Amino acid sequence: MTKVFEGEHLLPGQLGQLFIILSFGSALLSAISYFFAANQKDQLDQSWYKLGRLSFFINSFSVVSIGACLFYIIYNHLFEYHYAWAHSSRTLPVYYIISSFWEGQEGSFWLWTFWQAVLGNILIWKAKTWEKPVMAVVSLSQVLLSSMLIGVEILGSRIGSSPFILLREAIEAPIFNRPDYLQYIKDGNGLNPTLQNYWMTIHPPTLFLGFASMIVPFAYAIAGLWQRRYKEWVSAAIPYALFAVMILGTGIIMGSFWAYESLNFGGFWNWDPVENASLIPWLVLIAAVHVLIVFKNTGHAYFTATFLTLISFVLVLYASFLTRSGILGETSVHAFTDLGMFWHLVIDILVFLVLMVGLLVWRWKELPISQKEEETYSREFWMFVGSAFLALSCLQLVVVTSVPVWNAMFKTNIAPPANPITLYNIFQGGFAVVIAIFLGFTQFLKYKKTDAIRFFITTLVYMFVAALITGVVVYVTGLYKLRVVFMLAMFGAIYGVLANAKVLGDALKGKLKLAGSAVAHIGFALLLVGALIAAGTSKVVSQNDTGVIRVKDFEKAGNPRENIMLYKNEPVKMGDYQVIYFGDSLVAPNHYFKVDYKRFDESGKVKEHFVLMPNSQANPKFGLVSSPDTKHYLLHDLYTHITAAPIKEEESMAAGATEASHDHASEDSHYNPPVVYEASVGDTIRFREGYMVFSGLNKQPKLQNIPLKDNDVAVGAMLNIVSHGKAYKAEPVFMIKDGNSFDFARKVDDAGLKLRLSKIIPDKNKFEIMVYQQPESAKPYIVMRAIEFPYINFFWSGTIIMVIGFLMSIFRRNKELKVVPVKATAQPLKKKPALVK
Amino acid sequence: MKKSSILGIIVIAVAIAVIISTYSTSSTYGSFTDAKKSTEELHIVGHLNKGKELYYEPTKDANYFSFYMLDNKGEECKVVFTGTKPQDFERSEQIVLTGQMRGKEFHASKILMKCPSKYTQDKLETTEFKSKQASL
Repeated sequence: MTKVFEGEHLLPGQLGQLFIILSFGSALLSAISYFFAANQKDQLDQSWYKLGRLSFFINSFSVVSIGACLFYIIYNHLFEYHYAWAHSSRTLPVYYIISSFWEGQEGSFWLWTFWQAVLGNILIWKAKTWEKPVMAVVSLSQVLLSSMLIGVEILGSRIGSSPFILLREAIEAPIFNRPDYLQYIKDGNGLNPTLQNYWMTIHPPTLFLGFASMIVPFAYAIAGLWQRRYKEWVSAAIPYALFAVMILGTGIIMGSFWAYESLNFGGFWNWDPVENASLIPWLVLIAAVHVLIVFKNTGHAYFTATFLTLISFVLVLYASFLTRSGILGETSVHAFTDLGMFWHLVIDILVFLVLMVGLLVWRWKELPISQKEEETYSREFWMFVGSAFLALSCLQLVVVTSVPVWNAMFKTNIAPPANPITLYNIFQGGFAVVIAIFLGFTQFLKYKKTDAIRFFITTLVYMFVAALITGVVVYVTGLYKLRVVFMLAMFGAIYGVLANAKVLGDALKGKLKLAGSAVAHIGFALLLVGALIAAGTSKVVSQNDTGVIRVKDFEKAGNPRENIMLYKNEPVKMGDYQVIYFGDSLVAPNHYFKVDYKRFDESGKVKEHFVLMPNSQANPKFGLVSSPDTKHYLLHDLYTHITAAPIKEEESMAAGATEASHDHASEDSHYNPPVVYEASVGDTIRFREGYMVFSGLNKQPKLQNIPLKDNDVAVGAMLNIVSHGKAYKAEPVFMIKDGNSFDFARKVDDAGLKLRLSKIIPDKNKFEIMVYQQPESAKPYIVMRAIEFPYINFFWSGTIIMVIGFLMSIFRRNKELKVVPVKATAQPLKKKPALVK
Repeated sequence: MKKSSILGIIVIAVAIAVIISTYSTSSTYGSFTDAKKSTEELHIVGHLNKGKELYYEPTKDANYFSFYMLDNKGEECKVVFTGTKPQDFERSEQIVLTGQMRGKEFHASKILMKCPSKYTQDKLETTEFKSKQASL
């Protein structure tokens, strides 16, 4: 019954599918082998251990091979495969082929398994005594991830989704009954134009490296509980946790930068469920890192450290469930659609959640929970409290983002908040106040015990200075118009910068190893400063209130009119700028709209002059897709994007251009009825948007393909047109040929004009000129929105500084690992019926 | 009382506050009839009445777009959106509006529409449009 289809390349797909099964099988074998190796008492028997390593190597090889097969398929445009057909096209350049590789769910799962395989190999190389238990956990995660790619039906339900499914298997259509169906599938669907951006080539790999590396601290925590090495794992896990935090943070901000630079959200952060999903595990792991450091230095807060480390990875899986299961439905615009993996993803979460809870319960009585209270004036206590608040801010994100999940679980029908952004901003702003102030004053505390009086003096001095600076900043930026909580957050952020700058200053004098955390804290605080000012005082420059009566304090009632309409070549005043939409440039598939900006000083001189080119794509598959263009200044950005443009019609006109130009009647319908002038040479004719001077006659006008005989006459009227300060030339022609008269109209599209020389009146020595003008509505226009983001560079530079700080800390913690083997803490190890810790 | 207990109580209190506030700020899904009774913003799910006029004339007002929508109970209402007409609005299969009634018109502050995907068969694509730039 097997049908033979012409032109299919089945080998790469079959090979790929084989490697998928192999990767699943080898991961499973590796997990089992490492599990037995870790539990083995007999240290001499290396067989399980060797088998575990070998199967993990096979797994790594298979994962790379899956990637190679998939890349081969996409690169060679083998559209018999659904993945290539759905995500790429022949016209895509190579660097976007890489993007289309991970546009789909399957590709992004592959990316995750790939990074996990890389990390596994690093652990095999570096982890030493930790290798067996840690790799057992990593392999288990690899098993679950590779099962997502299997795509085989077992007991009537499909497990996972394979990237190697053929188009004819994925979609049912009569065309696939033809053996030669491939001849009709000329091209793929192509990559979504919003993803055709260089950030799309680097943002997903960074983000997934971040997600993947969160397995490492989790695996260490599990290994610590499992092997009863309760304290040792902490020092080993800290550098990996810092690495995960650094990479995931970079990935998140890259996504934010991408959205800001090339998507039309109108901002850099939108509290979209997909954004929240990546932020949640990041915040928890940051809290975990701090508590791990507390435990390492003082022996306090063991349970919290372990719990946060463990839950951060479970939250990674929860995040991937949110974005991939389709549960977010209509609450998010960019979640993946459901691939029928809902329960598979749920099982993935449950496996790790059960592992975590089970081990914690099982080992509960042995956990080294310290009996002693922390001192109030100790760094560890306030670090701990700060981390608790980080976790709470994360809880708020989880609770609100998961509204559709609650609906599904409790069969309710709650709608998300009507204005989620305001809700998030207020809540997270509140948490930011606490966290920023904490990351400031804990710098003046020492571990274990601090002199209270000295502490209060320094803290208050710095707070006073911070308050002064905040006052100035709030006044200058106009932040005082906002809610108090954002001013407090600004105070916290500035205080955080100052306090950590002091630490950094001390560090540069000698204690250089402490510099990392100070730099990271300064970066984070600056990021907050930038986010607060840029988001809080962003101003829609294109707001136009023409025809709207504004009532003070009544803005809620009338939606502000944020879009501005620009006719081609007509200057419009927009805020401080005079803007002119003056031209287009078509670089397929993008349509760039050239917009000229001028700013004048008081005397009317041009102070500043630049051109921005926001673009739109009238993509036949994806509709109008706009990308912004931004003018960057040191202290603010001017962001503009197209919200509407008659670009579709324009394209269809271009397609039917040859027909239309012959059809006078239909063409003239684009213009108002003509105005007829009898003019002599030298006359000036005025029209709605300018004037033209009839400067002379051309006795030998150029006419293509029309040879003139001796009796024939042709005359061109030379017209110099000025419209909106721009000069054009046109020369309509009148001709008598073989006794019949013709005239050739000329169009000046930019001025919206069509001109005819329709008659010569010899006795008056006058010429009849017909002026057709386009009605106002048929003129080319764009509708645009422009937003000013002040001080946004603090946001970006804060991120970079923070990443540098993380990097410094990683080196420091890694060094500690080598110099001091493992420091046993001198705390009593009795258990305590703790509430939180 | 021990410090850790105090902290624990604070943490639990904040957690409860978060949950309550989420519940109280959460909006509801309703119909146009509900909207007429209420002054709150709410979500209305429905679809475009394709038989009636879609009005967007950027040359007259670039920030005025109106259309007629039928909610899931079949009730029709004129909807006004202060902004540009979303691309491909005519093709939408489902619309989710956030907004409130003002007189006889429903003023939407946010439109979320689902269009049949041009990109994957038998799937719907969701896009969102807001009339107002988000601010703190």
